[in-house]
This record gives sequence, C-alpha cells and structure tokens, in this order.
Amino acid sequence: MLSALQNPRQAAAQLLNFGLILSTAFMMWKGLSVISDSPSPIVVVLSGSMEPAFQRGDLLFLWNRNFMEETKVGEIVVYNVKGKDIPIVHRLVRKFGTGDEAKLLTKGDNNVADDTELYARGQDYIERKDIIGSVVGYIPFVGYVTILLSEHPWLKTVMLGIMGLVVVMQRE
Amino acid sequence: MHSTLVRAQNVFGFFTTVCFVVAGLIALSDFSWERKPSSTVSVKDVQVVRGRPHYYSTKKEEYAHIRFNLNTDLSSLFTWNTKQVFVYVSATWPSNSTGPRDNEAVIWDTIITSPSADHLQNIGPAAMKKLVKSAKGKSIDPSRGKLNLKNQKAKYQITSPTGKLAETDDVVLKVHYNVQPWVGMLTWTPQVDFGGWKTMKGGVSKAFTLPALKKKKEEPKKATS
Amino acid sequence: MADQLIEKVRDAAEGQIDFEGQRFAERLATALLSIVGFISFAVGFFLQDIKLALFIGLGGAALTFLVVVPPWPVYNQKPVHWLQVPGSQSAGQGIIVDGKVIS
Repeated sequence: MLSALQNPRQAAAQLLNFGLILSTAFMMWKGLSVISDSPSPIVVVLSGSMEPAFQRGDLLFLWNRNFMEETKVGEIVVYNVKGKDIPIVHRLVRKFGTGDEAKLLTKGDNNVADDTELYARGQDYIERKDIIGSVVGYIPFVGYVTILLSEHPWLKTVMLGIMGLVVVMQRE
Repeated sequence: MHSTLVRAQNVFGFFTTVCFVVAGLIALSDFSWERKPSSTVSVKDVQVVRGRPHYYSTKKEEYAHIRFNLNTDLSSLFTWNTKQVFVYVSATWPSNSTGPRDNEAVIWDTIITSPSADHLQNIGPAAMKKLVKSAKGKSIDPSRGKLNLKNQKAKYQITSPTGKLAETDDVVLKVHYNVQPWVGMLTWTPQVDFGGWKTMKGGVSKAFTLPALKKKKEEPKKATS
Repeated sequence: MADQLIEKVRDAAEGQIDFEGQRFAERLATALLSIVGFISFAVGFFLQDIKLALFIGLGGAALTFLVVVPPWPVYNQKPVHWLQVPGSQSAGQGIIVDGKVIS
C-alpha cells in the first residue's frame, strides 16, 4: 500500500489496468446487448418457478431478434411488467393474433396457474414489447455467487476481511 | 508459482478455463446424436361451455374443453446432456374463417426429466421414489420419451380474448417439444431438417370444428331421463 | 516478538518453493487439469453419464489442488545457493542489522 504511494508510476499503471478490466467487461456486455438486441443479454435465475428446467443461480443467454419467425408459444421469455423492476423468466403458453399487437400469456413450468396475477392491475396479457429476450443458451449454477452476495450481505464483509488478511500477510 | 497463494490462484484460474472448455464440448456433443421424433395426435372429444375466468369475475366467456389421444416417441432426444424434455400440445385456430391460424394456446404439457435431473422434480415423496426407482442404475432413460395417452383431458382450456369460441372452424392440435440441456443451447421442434436433427414426423392432428355452445339447461333433463 | 510471530505465520502461509519447483508445479498443474478434463469428457460421453463426468472433474481438480498448492518437499530440492558477500566476516545467511547478527 505504502509502496504504491511512493511509486506514482506503478500506482498509475495499476489504476489503468483496473480501468481496462472494467471497461473490457462493460464493452463485452454492451456488445452482446447490441448483437442480441436485448437490454440485458445475460440474466441470472432468481426464483424456482421454472424448475426443474432452471434453478436459482443458473445463467441464461437471451436473444431478442425475430429473423425467421415470430416469438411463439412454447418459448421461454424474459419479460418486464410495468411497476415491477425485476424481470420474470416464464414460458409463453398462449398467443392471440400476430405481430406487435399479439396478446401473449406466460406461465412458469413449476406454477399451477398462469401469470395473469403477476401482471399489472387490469392487465390480462403482455405484448411483444414487454419481452426483453427469449432464452437460447444455458449454463447452470455459475450465477449463484451473485445470489449469495445479495442475500447474505455479511459475506461481502467476510470477503473484504480475507482480502485484507492476504494484503497483510504478503511481503513487499 | 512461488507462493501458496499464487499457486492456488493459478490452479483455480486454469481450472475454470478447463471447465468452460469441457462445458463447450458437452454442449457441442448434442449434435453427434440423431433426433428423429415422431408422434400422432387426434381429437377425441370437444365441448364448448360458458364460464367465468375466475370466481369474482362478472364476465362470461366461452371455453373449449378438449380430450385427445397422443402417441409419441421422443426417445432419441435423451442423451447425457438432456436435463429434461418439455412436451406440449397446442391448439391453433384462425381469428376469422378465411385467415391463417394466428391463435395458439397450450392445452396440455408434461415434463420428462432425465434420471440425472429426477431429484429436481416438484412431486410428492412417493411419486419421487417411484420415479427414481424406475431408472435405477441408468444414467439416461430414453424409454421415458414414449408416451401413449388415450382420451387425455386437456390441462388448460382454450379461451379467446374476444370471449367467443363456439363453432370456430379449422382448429388443429400440434405436438411440440423443448429440450433443456444441462449446458448449452435450448432447442425446440425444428421447422426444417438440421443435419441429423429431423423435423417431427406427424405431430399434427386433422383440422376440426369446435361445436356449438352446450346448453346448460339440458343437463338436468338428461340426468332425469 | 509480534514481528517474529508474524514472520513465522507469513513463512508458513507463503509456502515458498525454489525455481525448479515452480517450473515443475506449473507444468504439473497444466498437465493434470488437462488430463482430468479430457477423462471427464470422454468417460461422460461414452458412458452417457453427465453426473459421473461432473464428479470426475471435481475430484480431479481437488486432487490437483492437493498436489500442486502446498509447498511439498519435492518442490524444494534445488534451493538457490547465494554467493557470499565478498569481505563479509559472518559466513552463511547472517545479516547485520544495527550491529547485531540476525540469523
């Protein structure tokens, strides 16, 4: 720590390196976002409503373009509901009409009833524009760290403690 | 590699790389097996009745209750990377009698897990015991992909946003599947052949017409006569 | 006293190995993990058993950690022999600080 202050060139290099890592991650995220036309191309599953297909902590890759055909019944979509900030991952079970005005109904595989209750007040269906992507790729479990960290904030403290210990234990 | 910490970091770093490579290979191995699913579906019985969408609603809508026969062989979809296969039967019908079938609703579905994913099923302990026992010693169980349902009642009734369904013409039932892998791409019933992955053989019922509204008043009469 | 204690803990935690050992450990880790990954995929593919593949992968990784991470004596067989400081009276590793020899 002190040596970094004594050597400004090294400190600056470290700062730049850190900035490079952050900006690379951000660019990859935004690039994927442009390619898939989805505001959030990778999502972590937060609930068990799609079990046994998706568990909490699984990573989903989304695709939001309609090349050959429209989003259709049976696809698993991620959608936003007005007034709720957390997107929902459920399966499309009904579709009435075609195009942007088509009325869509979703349901979680593990839920008994469809999602009418989850929609905004007076809203019986969602539309294509509410959907931020259809699930096309899947990696299990990898996102579980984010769930752990958000549900048990003391883990962040523990991690900081371990990092501090490592710094103390390292010789310059 | 001079200190324990650096060694641990390096080994863990390379471990994650190996994990991603192997996961990628597993995902690619999906293409090394042929998929040639087939199924036949036919309508057994249809009724259209009036009802309310839920208990507190004052709105009256028409609902179609369908019974169907389904015979399907999806055993070629079960490989080591198959976590589950979601099988669903949908009804499609046109909004007006001359147009394309632009409405689709799932009327029945089921989840077939691989033995590797049995423990994730949301079923009672007795059913779970039976399920696990049925695949004892097997890592995959393609025989689960064979379904033979007779006079199966639909899980979900058909509705329409307009509330009108009776005497709709040109209704068709279709069988679809969705393969959920352990890692990799999710796949649905293909529209065209894709290498060794063939389109569903059959899987579409004959077009049928929904009957006229069933009069409720007739029922008690029937019971007495 | 506290400094000496920290030094001891640091030494134990740091687990230094010699240069030859570093090269060996690096190659061993790469080889072991690659082989484990290959076996895990091959066994899983041919036996059609993804759970087995997972267990082989995790077990192999645990083994690699056990073999490579701790400073086993194998990695310390060729310690660096430092040259003596010319003109220095205290032979060996002794360092003079404030007129006292610290070993």
